[in-house]
Amino acid sequence: MVKECKVKLKSSDDKIFEVDYAVAIQSQILNNTLGHTGCTDSALPLHNVSSQILAKVIDYCEYHVNASSTISEKDVKMWDQEFVKHLDQATLLDLLMAAQYLGIHNLQELTCQTVADRIKDKRPEDIREIFNIQNDLTPEEEEEIRCENEWAFEEEVSP
Amino acid sequence: MDESPKKELAVRRNTSSHLHRKEETPSWHLGAPVDIFFRSSPCRIVVVNAQELDHPIIYVNLIFEQVTGYRADEVLGRNCRFLQYQGSFAKTRYPLVDIRILTEICRCLSEGFDFEGERLNFRKGGSPLMNRLYIKPICNDEGIITHFLGVQSFKEANFDLSPLRGLVWKKSSGAIHTHILGDMYSQKSLFVHRDCSFKKCCPLYKVSDEVLVVNILARLTPKDVTSLGSVCHRFYNLTKDESLWKLVCQNIWGQETFSILESVARRRRLWWGKIVRELTTLEAAAWRKLTVGGSVEPSCINFSVCAVGSKVVLFGGEGVNMQPVNDTFVLDLNEDCPEWTHINVNSAPPGRWGHTLSGLSDSRLVVFGGCGRNGLLNDAFVLDLDEPQPTWREVSCSTRPLPRSWHSSCILDGTKLIVSGGCTDSGALLSDTFLLDLTMEKPVWKEINVSWRPPSRLGHTLSVLGNHKILMYGGLATSGPLRLRSSDVYIMDLSEEETRWKYVTGSMLPGGVSTCNSAPPPRLDHAAVSLPGGRVVVFGGSIAGSRLETKVYILDPMEEKPTWRILYVQGRQPKYASGHSTCLVGGTRVVVLGGHHTEDWMLTELHELCLINLKGTD
Repeated sequence: MVKECKVKLKSSDDKIFEVDYAVAIQSQILNNTLGHTGCTDSALPLHNVSSQILAKVIDYCEYHVNASSTISEKDVKMWDQEFVKHLDQATLLDLLMAAQYLGIHNLQELTCQTVADRIKDKRPEDIREIFNIQNDLTPEEEEEIRCENEWAFEEEVSP
Repeated sequence: MDESPKKELAVRRNTSSHLHRKEETPSWHLGAPVDIFFRSSPCRIVVVNAQELDHPIIYVNLIFEQVTGYRADEVLGRNCRFLQYQGSFAKTRYPLVDIRILTEICRCLSEGFDFEGERLNFRKGGSPLMNRLYIKPICNDEGIITHFLGVQSFKEANFDLSPLRGLVWKKSSGAIHTHILGDMYSQKSLFVHRDCSFKKCCPLYKVSDEVLVVNILARLTPKDVTSLGSVCHRFYNLTKDESLWKLVCQNIWGQETFSILESVARRRRLWWGKIVRELTTLEAAAWRKLTVGGSVEPSCINFSVCAVGSKVVLFGGEGVNMQPVNDTFVLDLNEDCPEWTHINVNSAPPGRWGHTLSGLSDSRLVVFGGCGRNGLLNDAFVLDLDEPQPTWREVSCSTRPLPRSWHSSCILDGTKLIVSGGCTDSGALLSDTFLLDLTMEKPVWKEINVSWRPPSRLGHTLSVLGNHKILMYGGLATSGPLRLRSSDVYIMDLSEEETRWKYVTGSMLPGGVSTCNSAPPPRLDHAAVSLPGGRVVVFGGSIAGSRLETKVYILDPMEEKPTWRILYVQGRQPKYASGHSTCLVGGTRVVVLGGHHTEDWMLTELHELCLINLKGTD
């Protein structure tokens, strides 16, 4: 199996990206496809990933293909945190969907954990603001749900 | 219909050479096999668009909705493969779904033939259906396949379905390589969304419920999930699904706790959302009295108990004339009328009291130390309750810790026995900690070397937090020339390279008083129970001034500044104070028996602290 070849990827908006084989196979889907077809000249279409997101995915994969052998685990973690730190919600979620779609396990873990961290310890109002979610509950419904869920907002375990 | 063939093959002419194909004009005549389906039983009908990527559903009938539990608006636009996933949020298709059938379906679809066969499907709630499926391609006037019609009749399936699996992303192990590209497009089901309640500019709008629940919500704590559930209709509805709470439980409390709770939930038909909430808040904690049959005879005190599944196992103790006994008794709390049963074991260990009995994984238990007929002991014996003829087997080790009694023990990871402190033959107190790894062929006692040890003590408790931490509390501890009751809490993380005891809270001086009002008074011979999430509940014991200790205290060592709180428990507390034995059964009931002031020597009246409301929903 030739491992030195380049792989061409085509985003949903028809941009072509060329990456090393080792970078591409971090995606389970691409790994399986390439395992079957081998390296070809034709670009693999990724219908659900835009060029903006694909560029970021490639950045991640290019760092990680080298990271496993040469960089310490601690440094890799720090790089990962920097990678996601300033992403806006839309980009973060697009990246999450792309990682899921392409089957890149550690990127999927990273993005999912980041979203979870952004929800952690937040009150409903804050979550709405962060993710720009419209409150479609009527005042009565909201009151009812608040009473039902009051236990989650109490400080003490018991009175 | 369930596997999307390669995109290029989605539209094909009907060939006339295959045996299965039926010649019919006009194309809406369905032919004999399908008519039979309609006549014999109520049928689900599904129509998919053959010309669109991934064959989205464009029509389902009322029977489909009624039988599968999925509403039309939930499934329109999706590929039918969701029927192979157990429960709304499963990540991979259920392993018993026959991949060969799926391959055959793919082949028929891509080549334009009819398909007929049986296949395993799941309702929305997760219960199985055996599906007799007939798929027919529908052509337009030019002979091009435009739709597939699926007619399904069903029968209930009886399968032993394994519990919901945890957060593992992997392609289903039977994936057919020729349909890899097809599978890429299967991810389109991830993009299905509801268009109620969301503005288009909300990024979460794009994420399907499955991805949201399995990948994101399942990582949150129960409180965070509940907070999210208060945000809008969509999230509120998601928190009403049991599958979500099962995933949350598995994630925060681990697979072992989940499995234990699952058997309780199933048996008593409890709603998972309620289980998770009640185990988090402990709002339903209540004392109950339990009367059981049989009796423990000869009666004894200072025995030791541990829980094995739903059973309470009792070994040893001090009988009449202060003689140590070596009987083994079992009480199965899952029975309608639980009663003590004496187990006739092969080769019982020498009789003892002041020993420890701890539950290992796979229905085994280990006993260590204690005071025997001829002095203190340091031998360890293991019993497997599942054996047809249970036999106590000594763990032979070349070197052992000092013989002792009134030490404390706990089990790490279901396989490692940890023993600490206690009292020696000479009456001296110990402060050492030893570990015995019972997975090894020839287990060896290993002392855990630390640079500093808490004061030596007896009558303290060791509790396990998670997979690799232990918490020591209380006991009668050395303080210079004196021995005083302690209220100190120490934690050790055994995964650290340099293990050490860390002081958490207390008074630093045994017998001293903590500044916090809710702190429990110093004590020994109390009960300490580990709850899911690493919290510790403590009650009973001997406190200064011969007062009867009635309060229940709880501590969360994971907090930034761990503080003791008083746990309000309904119901009447057991009257006796200390020296009782306790164990946690089924992750939800703390069974308390014996004790210095009890009058019940036969152990027919037990007390239990129920952590959750065990009354089912129906």
